[in-house]
Amino acid sequence: MSSLTHTAVLRAEHVQLGYWTPDGFMLAVQDATFSVAPREKAIVIGPSGCGKSTLLKAVAGFIRPTAGRIEVAGREKLEPGPDRAVVFQEFDQLFPWRSVLDNVAYPLRINGWKRRDALERAREFIELTSLSPAADRYPHQLSGGMKQRVAIARALALDPAMLLMDEPFGSLDMLTRARLQQELNGIIERTQTTLLLVTHSMDEALTVGDKVVVLAGAPSTVTEVVDVADVGPPDSPRYAETHAHLRDLLGVTHDELKELDVVND
Amino acid sequence: MSSTTETRAALPARPRASGWARLPLWLRRVILLAVIVGLWQAYVRWSEFGGNDLLFASPVDTARAFWDGWRDGSLARATWETMRLLLIGVGIGALIAALFTLFASLSQIGEDILLLLTAILNPLPGVAVLPLALLWFGLSNKAIIFAIANATIWPIAINLTTGFKTVNPTIVAAGRNIGLKGVRLVTDVLAPAALPSAISGLKTAWAFGWRTVVAAELVFGVVGGEGGLGTYINNAKLYLFTAQMFAALLSIAVLGVAFELLFGVLERRTIVRWGMQRS
Repeated sequence: MSSLTHTAVLRAEHVQLGYWTPDGFMLAVQDATFSVAPREKAIVIGPSGCGKSTLLKAVAGFIRPTAGRIEVAGREKLEPGPDRAVVFQEFDQLFPWRSVLDNVAYPLRINGWKRRDALERAREFIELTSLSPAADRYPHQLSGGMKQRVAIARALALDPAMLLMDEPFGSLDMLTRARLQQELNGIIERTQTTLLLVTHSMDEALTVGDKVVVLAGAPSTVTEVVDVADVGPPDSPRYAETHAHLRDLLGVTHDELKELDVVND
Repeated sequence: MSSTTETRAALPARPRASGWARLPLWLRRVILLAVIVGLWQAYVRWSEFGGNDLLFASPVDTARAFWDGWRDGSLARATWETMRLLLIGVGIGALIAALFTLFASLSQIGEDILLLLTAILNPLPGVAVLPLALLWFGLSNKAIIFAIANATIWPIAINLTTGFKTVNPTIVAAGRNIGLKGVRLVTDVLAPAALPSAISGLKTAWAFGWRTVVAAELVFGVVGGEGGLGTYINNAKLYLFTAQMFAALLSIAVLGVAFELLFGVLERRTIVRWGMQRS
């Protein structure tokens, strides 16, 4: 378990989160404490409804914690902003009236980049995400996997302090998901971006992550932070061991997980 | 897929359409139009109206009156006058509708007011407010413009409000995430996202405006300045220039089709191209 260091990009201390429903205030996250170091790939994992997406929304600045504090690069009282670029789960997060190139270049333009520089940088990140042949297409002409690639390119081009991903591959078929997980690893390797990714897939956590923040219970707490940087490939003993450990932490049997369709094996 | 021929061979046979359906759309339309005009001509020729062009104009007479009217400028002037009133009226209506929508999206009371006004005023036929408009503005174009604006505000406002309310929340979140807020978020994300609703509101408003302007002019007879198409029809009726009445109706129909095509082009260039609406 890593301690809260001075160099952390993200610090969450005793964060409490909830939201209003017709039945009153629902507490989703009781107490979340963890930190993410520069260039670290942190995964928040937990069963459906544990508040992991709510936690990511709070880091993105869309909602405020009801208690505790969230600090990104030394700043609190977060508003939504491009320093914490988000890749959402929904495919329709792209602007349908802009081409792929424009979807990546436009956010740069509004953040003060000159037109020519913005286009050049957009092309660079479209290349990085293997989208060059589709640069002039509109989002509705792309497959789900390609749309998520555009979203990743758009987010990374902004050179964020950290990249936030909310189950980015959750709506993709298994093959595309596995391929994009590999690609994401390669891309992050190149850009050296700090990552906070929310998922309910243990395999995704183990494939992409350096460490896994386990959220469990209702309302949830961080039950453990597991180091998964060196678990190796899926067929290694370390991987299987860690997989089993995560399973125990989440408090569900493997069969239950299969039933809930949260294991992709 | 190694070669085109192979691909082609793999395709199942296209279902055979019957003779008529196999013709291209434009040809089907031209043929139908020709048949209708033919029936029209036959009716005038052989019915009890036979030769009485005071009651019913034949296609040939109508075409001649149309041609003459456009050549000597009388029909062109009338058409332009109607178009001018319509453009001003719809323009004012759209502007007020936009302000209403802005107000409605900023506050609950604004939304309540808009919904209430729309529920009351939208079902009113455009011409119904004309007597009141006459009372307020006198026998002038202002009264007509008022009636058009009233007929167009509500459909535009309803559609715009619905459009803004139903914008996909993810796209708004994405907009805020890349650093947009306030007016910029409205102009750069909400407005284009609501474009399909805006265009459909404008189409409805345009249709309502057409009906209102021609009806208002008919009611008026002659008003200050140049008369429009309604006035033209009314005058033609007074002098029993039946073919001119038909010619004016033809102008209205042609303009209606032209604007339908124009809206079609606008849609294909924007929301259809962007996959926000199917063609």
